[in-house]
Amino acid sequence: MTSNPPVGLRSFLSSVGRVFAVFFRQGRRARRTRFFFLFSFIPVAVSLVIKFNQIFSGKAGREGAYLFSNLIMLFYLQMIILILALFYGTSVCSEEVEGKTLPYLITRPVPRAAVVLGKYAAYTAVMTGMVTLGLLFSFLVLNLDRLLDPSVYGLLGRYLGVLVLGLVAYGALFTFFGSTFKRSIFFGLLFSFGWENVIQYFPGSTQRLAIAHYLKSFLPATSSGRFSFLTFRLEATRPGVALLMLVVIAAAALGLACLIFSIKEYNLED
Amino acid sequence: MTAVIATSKLSKWYGNVLGLSDVSLEIEPGITGLLGPNGAGKSTFLKLITGQIRPSIGTVHIFDQKVQMNQSLFSRIGYCPEHDSFYEEMTGWVFLTSLLKLQGFPSEETRSRAEEALDIVELSAEKDRLIRAYSRGMRQRLKFAQAIAHDPEVIILDEPMSGLDPLGKRKLIRLIKTYKDRGKTVIVSSHVLPEIEALTRTIILIHQGKVFAKGDIHYIRDLIDSHPHMVSIRCPEPRRLAGQLLEEDYVLKVHFGPDGRSVLVETNNRDKFFALLLSLLVKDRTDVEEITSPDDNLQAVFDYLIGK
Repeated sequence: MTSNPPVGLRSFLSSVGRVFAVFFRQGRRARRTRFFFLFSFIPVAVSLVIKFNQIFSGKAGREGAYLFSNLIMLFYLQMIILILALFYGTSVCSEEVEGKTLPYLITRPVPRAAVVLGKYAAYTAVMTGMVTLGLLFSFLVLNLDRLLDPSVYGLLGRYLGVLVLGLVAYGALFTFFGSTFKRSIFFGLLFSFGWENVIQYFPGSTQRLAIAHYLKSFLPATSSGRFSFLTFRLEATRPGVALLMLVVIAAAALGLACLIFSIKEYNLED
Repeated sequence: MTAVIATSKLSKWYGNVLGLSDVSLEIEPGITGLLGPNGAGKSTFLKLITGQIRPSIGTVHIFDQKVQMNQSLFSRIGYCPEHDSFYEEMTGWVFLTSLLKLQGFPSEETRSRAEEALDIVELSAEKDRLIRAYSRGMRQRLKFAQAIAHDPEVIILDEPMSGLDPLGKRKLIRLIKTYKDRGKTVIVSSHVLPEIEALTRTIILIHQGKVFAKGDIHYIRDLIDSHPHMVSIRCPEPRRLAGQLLEEDYVLKVHFGPDGRSVLVETNNRDKFFALLLSLLVKDRTDVEEITSPDDNLQAVFDYLIGK
């Protein structure tokens, strides 16, 4: 049976939407979400400590925008989005295999690729919610004295955009890991805290093999301060190219994940 | 009658391991029992006809349509998996409505179908409890509910009665039979002969990945009846008991256990043998600690059939 492409595409998108609706609800209510929600609020706690210290010590200290962009952002960029994307991304496929719930999904009138895309979108939405709230609270706490200054909100929007892009790109890559590898968390950890942390500081074009490089290309180059080494990059990529690269990485990883999930026969036995 | 499910030369290998070999079958509406010991290839067959795995060789057709990658066909099939696996953090209600949403039903119909399915399996009162708090029997019923909630024409149940108590089994058997009356095609797999016997007379015997026999269940029963039965009796005086039993011509042989406290009896008439044993227990007050039938299972029948 053949159907013309628009109808087929509509039907596919409708399937993605149905999967998204189911797993967005499940993702929001899952126990691990509560845990990761607390985890993503660590920077808020750090912001509060810094703020209280400033208030009670009577010292002015660094200004809020500086602390926000150097400390809090790096908490998110170097650790939190990696951890979130790793656990949620790999679980898109692997939790169905490990939990042996896969038959419930693949015996429904839903293409397997739609299962991957719908779950990925749902989990990315859940992660984005967590990160946005945490970032917003950290920002408000650290910039209490400058809340009426509209320029600081531009900074917030820019950093939030970078984090969402990070979740999209890392989440897609780890979705691919979850569809392909049995020990996807292990390989994900190796990638996140091995490859990414090392390769982004390599000179020349090698650094362009790290997702972090493209994410940092959207941030202002930090030239001073004790945390400058964290945002250090040798050769920035132009933001337009960086965005394109992140989209290509995410699309390629998701495409591969869909393909593998559609053709691979997962072993559900103990 | 027209076959609903047709397989042709269906074979599946997992690497070098044979899962299913050269299975050509036609399954008609009504209940068909898929019978075989653990590891025989029952689940592989069911996964192949539900499109979960691809055949290495051969084809599967349901309603004259190819199953592989034919998602639209899946709305006409209900599948109850073998594993006791769920989204444990969901309630029974959320689980059912979620799967119905994936079927593509609008919200109102999703709710009404979920309510109906929960009613059928008598889980309405427990629908808002988390699945992880369900008993094994409740989980089996919920699994069955998700297979029938969208009112499929073909219902495929992989070991649906495992974990159910006798009452639960009886209820489920009665329930499955109602789907036969409604003209559905139901396939039930089990390794327990009496479970299948209670459901249907049409069976497929599967062993070592091959279909051994297909047809009426009495054929299998006859094979069992013509095969000598082994009964093991544990008692303090096995020799005295053996002497009493050997007086009857339907007791063919006795073997004594190495511990000196058990006797293994071979008989070609199980009913008469147990009547005799009962009379010895009652009249002669013979002490017996345990009676078991080591070959009263499907594996023994298969062993007999394949000449082991």
